[in-house]
Amino acid sequence: MAGTQESSPGLLDRFSTMVDNLVKVTTTKAPIGQTPRQAIWTLNKATLYRYTPVKPAEERHRIPLLLIFALMNRSSILDLRPGNSFVEYMLNKGYDLYLLDWGVPGPEDAEMNLGDYALEYIPRAVRKLKAVSGSETFNLLGWCIGAMLSTLYASLRGNVEGLKSLILLTAPLDFTDREQISLARMTEERYFDVDRVLQAFGNMPAGLIDYGAKMLKPVENFVGGYVRLLDNLDNPKVVESWHAMNTWVNDAIPLAGGAYRQFIVDFYRGNKLMNGTLTIRGEKVDLNDLRANLLNVIAVDDHITPPCQSARLLDKVGSLDKTELKVPGGHIGVMAGSGASKGTWPKVESWIAARSD
Amino acid sequence: MGEAEKKVDVKKLLQDARDGVMDAWAKLALNLTSSHEYQRLQGMIVKPALLGLALFRKASESVMSPLLAQMNMPSREEVLGIAQRLTHIEMTLDDLGAALEQLRRSAGPRPQRGPAARDREVKPDNGSSIAAKEA
Repeated sequence: MAGTQESSPGLLDRFSTMVDNLVKVTTTKAPIGQTPRQAIWTLNKATLYRYTPVKPAEERHRIPLLLIFALMNRSSILDLRPGNSFVEYMLNKGYDLYLLDWGVPGPEDAEMNLGDYALEYIPRAVRKLKAVSGSETFNLLGWCIGAMLSTLYASLRGNVEGLKSLILLTAPLDFTDREQISLARMTEERYFDVDRVLQAFGNMPAGLIDYGAKMLKPVENFVGGYVRLLDNLDNPKVVESWHAMNTWVNDAIPLAGGAYRQFIVDFYRGNKLMNGTLTIRGEKVDLNDLRANLLNVIAVDDHITPPCQSARLLDKVGSLDKTELKVPGGHIGVMAGSGASKGTWPKVESWIAARSD
Repeated sequence: MGEAEKKVDVKKLLQDARDGVMDAWAKLALNLTSSHEYQRLQGMIVKPALLGLALFRKASESVMSPLLAQMNMPSREEVLGIAQRLTHIEMTLDDLGAALEQLRRSAGPRPQRGPAARDREVKPDNGSSIAAKEA
């Protein structure tokens, strides 16, 4: 009897904690992207941030590092939460760190295309970065569509604007092997009328992009995540991590109509970049013009941008110093998963460290 | 103790069974959603919805435009046009600012700037400039 009296409050406490956690994660947003930073430049919806350095100037790497994330999700994934933040990790390693955040496109941005991002926004942000940092050279890290934009920029402007090294993470560049790319099947011309979608919405709505991505693994995305949460409701570490990731996942943003159309027509359907037929504002994009040191990071379990989408990249670029790095993990988990701080980050950091002074 | 172990085992057993069912379900769903038939069906469902949306948008615009004009207010297109022009102006100002900065640098050492100028350079978060702080 006495034993029952002792264990009952424990069980009740545990149950109460689980309920509290469940209410918290389903009704609130986790604080993400908290590392101190300052906006140093804005253009339309885009903002260039500089993270407050944590190391004194003499202990920092000489060459600044610019981060560029995708267009349809918040860049806060790079700075998810204290203790699990790539930004925090790189600051502690002594980098002068900048982030180009694209913001949320409005109806007035419906005609913005990849050329605008790669040739109007990135060069201006780079100009400001160089002015603020005082460095004539810089390194660039692009992730997902951010990697694609970085590749376009590096091929067209990188050589003349001081780009020293380029890191591409899960870059969707090669659409040759269409059967391996689920999104390519989903956006085939006979099933998906991109012009009609954009005629109806202007920009590609965040909800539709999110739905398309989640339908690539429907059970895992719509059910599996919640089952994992229920299994770990009494584990504060897992709950906190789940909450942060869920907050980020459910905060998608629309994609500018012009950029989306180009992405589908020129990349998914035309594979123009790899074929060497892509032109941006009348300029032919030749990957052989990409001369910066290159690290191409491939996530081996990526179902959104499967490994085949950048596996042939090194053969095409003109860089003399080029490396391919295959790391375990999915499209997002590779950089924001619980194992990233011991897996991907140190590998990326050691590569860039050797090219930052 | 033995009973407690049994309980844990039952829970684990149930979890394993559930995971097994979910794995099978996931594979089935994946096969379904990645099939060409599913894509075709989805396209067939979406098409009329998109057509309806586009028609609704066109109809609402044709109603709103004369109404707004009558009220001496700008139409949606005009507001969007203004926003686009503002972005172009912003770009031009950015280029002018950069060109001026370059001229100033090539002219010689930078003069001490007042707090108002520092505030103008940097926007949001806390309103202070890294460039100014570190200068």
